[in-house]
Amino acid sequence: MDDPFDLIAGWLHETLLIPLLYALGLMRWEEIAHGWALFAVYGAVQVVATLAICMPLERWRPIERWNDKSAIGVDVFYTVLSRVGVLPLVTFVLFYQAQVALNGWITDHGWIPPMLERVVPALLGHSLLTFAIYAVILDCADYWRHRVSHQLRWWWALHSVHHAQRQMTFWSDDRNHLLDDLIAFVWFGVIALAIGVPPMQFPVLVLVLRFIESLSHANARVSFGVVGERLLVSPRFHRAHHGVLAYGPRSCNFGAVLPWWDMLFRTADFSREYVATGDPSGDEAAATGSWLAQQRSGLRRLWSVLALGRRAA
Amino acid sequence: MRFRIGIVVILMLTLTLLRHGVSSALAGGLAFVVNSNSASISVIDMSTRKELRRIPTLREPHHLMLSPDGKSLLVGDTAGNQIMFLDPATGDVQRRVAVADPYQLGFSPDGKFLVVNGLARNQIDVYEPATMTLIKRFPAASTPSHLAFSPDSRTVFVSLQGSDKLTAIDLTSMNPSWTEPVGPTPAGVLWLHGKVLVADMGDDYVAVVDPASGHVVDKLVTGKGAHNLFLSPDNRIVWVNNRAGGTTTAVDAETMKVLRSYSIPGGPDDIAFAPNGDLWITRRFAEKVAILHPETGDFETIDVGRSPHGIWLNPAARGP
Repeated sequence: MDDPFDLIAGWLHETLLIPLLYALGLMRWEEIAHGWALFAVYGAVQVVATLAICMPLERWRPIERWNDKSAIGVDVFYTVLSRVGVLPLVTFVLFYQAQVALNGWITDHGWIPPMLERVVPALLGHSLLTFAIYAVILDCADYWRHRVSHQLRWWWALHSVHHAQRQMTFWSDDRNHLLDDLIAFVWFGVIALAIGVPPMQFPVLVLVLRFIESLSHANARVSFGVVGERLLVSPRFHRAHHGVLAYGPRSCNFGAVLPWWDMLFRTADFSREYVATGDPSGDEAAATGSWLAQQRSGLRRLWSVLALGRRAA
Repeated sequence: MRFRIGIVVILMLTLTLLRHGVSSALAGGLAFVVNSNSASISVIDMSTRKELRRIPTLREPHHLMLSPDGKSLLVGDTAGNQIMFLDPATGDVQRRVAVADPYQLGFSPDGKFLVVNGLARNQIDVYEPATMTLIKRFPAASTPSHLAFSPDSRTVFVSLQGSDKLTAIDLTSMNPSWTEPVGPTPAGVLWLHGKVLVADMGDDYVAVVDPASGHVVDKLVTGKGAHNLFLSPDNRIVWVNNRAGGTTTAVDAETMKVLRSYSIPGGPDDIAFAPNGDLWITRRFAEKVAILHPETGDFETIDVGRSPHGIWLNPAARGP
C-alpha cells in the first residue's frame, strides 16, 4: 500500500528541492534533502492532525478560558520549529551518523551491533510488534529522563521553561529550552543506539505517539475513564503533572505516552482534577516572554543554580 | 451423446486451464526490488506484475548483486551492517554475514574479489568472496557510492560522490592508483570500450575518463542530474538515468550519440533488463518500479515499498 506522506515528500523533493539543489550546485546534499522533506511532511501532518483533533476538543470542553491568548503564540512557534523545521533533521542526521559510526565499529571488531531483532530473531519481519517493543522501552527511558529532570536543580532550571506555561494547550508539548531538548536528544540517542532503534522505518507510528503527547497537554476536559487512563496518558492525567502544586521535585505523573511507569514506580496520581498549571517558582519571562526571553530565562536560572552551588562549595 | 459431448467440452476446458496455469507459472520469473526506507525486498512475479511477498531486512538495504556462481543474490543492508545471501530462484534467505556499511557491492570479473563501498563510513572494502574475509580497507573521502571494474579485474573504479572525484584502486598490488576530479557529484560508473563512464549528478553529462590517467577526455550531455548508467545485455545501448530531469536516456554505445530520452518521473535510479527488451527502473520517490517499453516509450508501474533502489531480475525463476 502506498504511503501518501512518503509520496508527498517525494513529490516535494522532486519538484522543489532537487531543481533548487541542482541550480545551486548542491546535488551532493540530495539524499539529506530527501530526508528533510520526509521529516517536514510528517512534521506538518503531525501539526495538522493535532490541530484538527485537539482544537475542536479544546473548544468543546475547555478547562480554562482566556481573554488574552498571546502566550500561546510562542508555543505555536516552538511546535513548528521542533516538528517541521530544521531541528528534527539535524537530530536525525546526528543520530544516523552516530549509529553508522558505532555499529560499523562494532561490526569491524567481530561483534554484533545491538538490535532487538538480533537478540530475538523471531521479531524480524514483524515490524509492528518490534516497533511496539521499541516504543515501550523508549517510553520507559523517557519516564526516567523526565523524572530526573525534576530532581536535579540545574536540570529543573532548564525544564521549568516547559512548566512555566499557565495557559497550557496542545501546543505546549514542544515548549522546551534548547539545552533541555539537547539533553533529551542525547539521552534518547544513547538509549536508542544501545537497543538499535531504526530511525526511519516507522514514521506513521511515531506520528501517532507524538499526537498522544500533544493531546496530553490539551486544554480539554478529557479523561480516558478509569481503565483507559491506566493504559494511555490522558489530558487529565498529564495536567496533574503540570499543576502549580506539582512543580520541581514534588511533581507526579511523569509518563509521556504510557502511565505504566508512574504506576510501577509509585509516582502516579489519578486523583487530581484539572488543576491550574504553571511554575510559581519561575519568573514571568519564562511564562509570558518571547521565545528568546524564555530561553534567556532558562539560562539565567541555570546560571543562578550553578553559582549557588559554587558558593555553597 | 449430449452427455459425451459435455464431458469432452469439460475435459478440453480443464486441459486449457491447466495448460494456461502451468505456462503462467513457468513463464513467471522473479524481480527483486530493494525498498531502502521500508527495510524490505519486494519479490515480484514478472509475468503477472504482482508483488508476491516482501523479504524483511534489518534496517536499510540499498543494492544487490548476483554471485559469480549464480547461486546467491547478495543484498547489502547498510544500517543493518549485514549482507544477506538469498536464493535467486526463490528469495529464501541462505545466510547473513556481518559487514560494516555495505552500500554498493561488486564482484571482480574473475570472481576473486568482492568490493563493498561503505558510503556512510567513507571506506572501500575488498573481500575474499568465498570466506568473506576482509583483505584490505581503503579510506575514501567522501561517500564512495558506485563502482565498476576493468575487464581484466586489475582495477576497480569508485565514484566519490562527496568530493567530485573518481578513485582507481589496483587490485593486484592493493594500492590506490589515482584519485582525480571528474565533475560535480559523480555517481554511476561503467566500463565501456576501454574508457570509464561516470554520471555526474551535479551536472547534465556523463564524463568519459581515461582509465590510465583518470583525466576526463570527453563529456556526453544526457540530462539534468545524470545519476546512473547501465549497458544493455546486447552491449549496444548505454542507458542513463537523469535524477533532476526525471528522464532515462538511450545512448548508442558505439557512436556515443544520444538516441532518445524517455520521461520517467519519480527519481529514476537503478535499471534491470528483461529478456523481451523492457527496462525495469526503480523510481526512488514514487514507491514504484517503471517497466519501460523502449519501442513505444510507454511505461507500466508496479507498487513496491518506500524508496525502491536496487533491482535484479531472474526470468528463469519459477518463484517460491
